[in-house]
Amino acid sequence: MINILFFGLIADKMGKKSMHIQAGLCLKTMIKQTGCDCFKPLLIAVNQVQVHDMAYVLQEGDEVAIMPPFSGG
Amino acid sequence: MDAVRIQEEDFSIEEEISAVKKTSQRIGGITAFVGCARDFSEGRDVFSICFEQYAGMAEKALAALRDEALQQFDILEVRMVHRVTTVHAGDQIVLIVVGSVHRKAAFEACEWLIDTLKQRVPIWKKETTPEGESWVSSHP
Repeated sequence: MINILFFGLIADKMGKKSMHIQAGLCLKTMIKQTGCDCFKPLLIAVNQVQVHDMAYVLQEGDEVAIMPPFSGG
Repeated sequence: MDAVRIQEEDFSIEEEISAVKKTSQRIGGITAFVGCARDFSEGRDVFSICFEQYAGMAEKALAALRDEALQQFDILEVRMVHRVTTVHAGDQIVLIVVGSVHRKAAFEACEWLIDTLKQRVPIWKKETTPEGESWVSSHP
């Protein structure tokens, strides 16, 4: 099982803060299947580390964060 | 208290500066940046700002920034605090304190830290304005 987390504007638009999917998809496919490909720019973290390789295949137990650009400070 | 923190409660600038000062008697200059809530943004009133974080990753990113600054600049100590709560005009949001032997490195590191924090730390702000709530998407 993969835990997907949504933040900020993306969570509001998705109407939820998290969801679960099965392992085995690559990030690019997962983003498309969840409908998050309409959010640009998009930042992705896997297990709390930001990743840029959208070919990464999600492993059992991964935590994926789908995030809008940061606006802290 | 930890040198890097994300917390709901307010912080004391004096206590954080004092904590930096106590780390080394070689410190000859201390700079501090304090980010505060404004009552306007992009030409409209702002009643309040609500912060959201990716808990865990935000602390790690903040700690990594501190480590990188200590490596990259000729400085001796860094403390950073970011609040994640709802704030109003005048409230403190973020504090960065840098101690160094000479002032130039402390100024440079402090500016780099706040600029880079805005790019690398997963925190988001949502403003409440007369038109309703809106997420802030940029990091000027």
